[in-house]
Amino acid sequence: MTSPSSLPDKPIVFFGGKGGVGKTTMAAAYALQSARRGTRTLLVSTDPAHSAGDMLGLRLGDEAREVQAGLHALEIDPEAEVERYIADVKERIRDVASPRIMDEVEHEIDLARSSPGAEEAALLDRFAELMQEAGAGYERVVFDTAPTGHTVRLLSLPELMGRWIDGLVSRRRKVRSLGRMWRNVAGAAAGEAGRDDDPVLEALERRQARFSAAREIVTDPARTAFTFVLTPERLPILETRKAVAALRRSKIPVAAVMVNRVLPPDAEGAFLARRREREARYLEEIDREMGSLPRIRIPLFDSDVQGREGLSRVIEAFEMNQEGRRSDR
Amino acid sequence: MARRIRDAWRAFRDMYDALYMAPYRSQIHREYARQRDLFLLLTTSDLLGVPNPVEFYTLELLPEVMEQFHEWHRRIGLEQPPDGGFRCC
Repeated sequence: MTSPSSLPDKPIVFFGGKGGVGKTTMAAAYALQSARRGTRTLLVSTDPAHSAGDMLGLRLGDEAREVQAGLHALEIDPEAEVERYIADVKERIRDVASPRIMDEVEHEIDLARSSPGAEEAALLDRFAELMQEAGAGYERVVFDTAPTGHTVRLLSLPELMGRWIDGLVSRRRKVRSLGRMWRNVAGAAAGEAGRDDDPVLEALERRQARFSAAREIVTDPARTAFTFVLTPERLPILETRKAVAALRRSKIPVAAVMVNRVLPPDAEGAFLARRREREARYLEEIDREMGSLPRIRIPLFDSDVQGREGLSRVIEAFEMNQEGRRSDR
Repeated sequence: MARRIRDAWRAFRDMYDALYMAPYRSQIHREYARQRDLFLLLTTSDLLGVPNPVEFYTLELLPEVMEQFHEWHRRIGLEQPPDGGFRCC
């Protein structure tokens, strides 16, 4: 039926899935296993519920913190990222504008704070920065992302925004070359068009370079792997199907599927037997639909997965998959 | 003699300039101004109350282009900036 399933082995691994399927647990376990095997790993969490820190038993912050030898972790707060960016823009405007103008602008800028996509845009910036870390400060970066919709949209952002920014950059360059022509024929009358540097173009080009780098990394199957976590239930399956299709459209490599909370064979009783029948049908559906991808199954445990000991149980389950044996056979 | 040649040359050059170069210059300036203003509107459309998909990113350009926004509405003949947008004056 299913062949020995291998976990992704790339420098950048994203974990995605519906809220509540155990995504953070899987990401943390994978990162821990990676570190134990001697790969210097960074776990990046954007989960608004701060589960990663809870799971690892330490408070995570914006700066990478050592969890244990070979494993660091950090948590990104999208709201805080937006705030930081906005505060920076306001500061720069304060330098050049009068207090009255400042009040007006402040109002405009505050509106942008809640515009749709502001958090994703800020997050993308941080992601792009951190993706560069793989191969630099760390050998592997594991991203535990927010629930599905956001992640899919986020990872397709570089392409969409890239096109818009490309348009702005080429327009700006056109303005500059026309400005140069004007300067050549007008001589002293040129005035403002006579500037050689263009901070606006520089800012746009920096953005463009960042997006283009992010786009390249995220669509490179040699560098990036996207792993979907789901439980053998109706809604998670539906959502995973849509999400995998969306990622593939954006050419983001989906590398594996993790099916979590599968009933172990030693769970007894008539009630559970009935649930197991239901589950078998869902498992079949998953095998059918995602047949081309490695599928890893993790059993439902008899207690919450907590701390390194809990994560070790998950890692054991990973290893059983990799060795071709599974607790549900 | 040399002075007369020089004056004649200068007069010829001024005439040439007025006949050919001036219209060419204003054409270039028109195109330059058009592209410049178009770029400004694309990056500051949120100041006009028009939604901008990359608003978050164009925000960081604001310190540089804010002044140009004001010059722009004066230039097109509006004493006040358009309603519904940024009140720069």
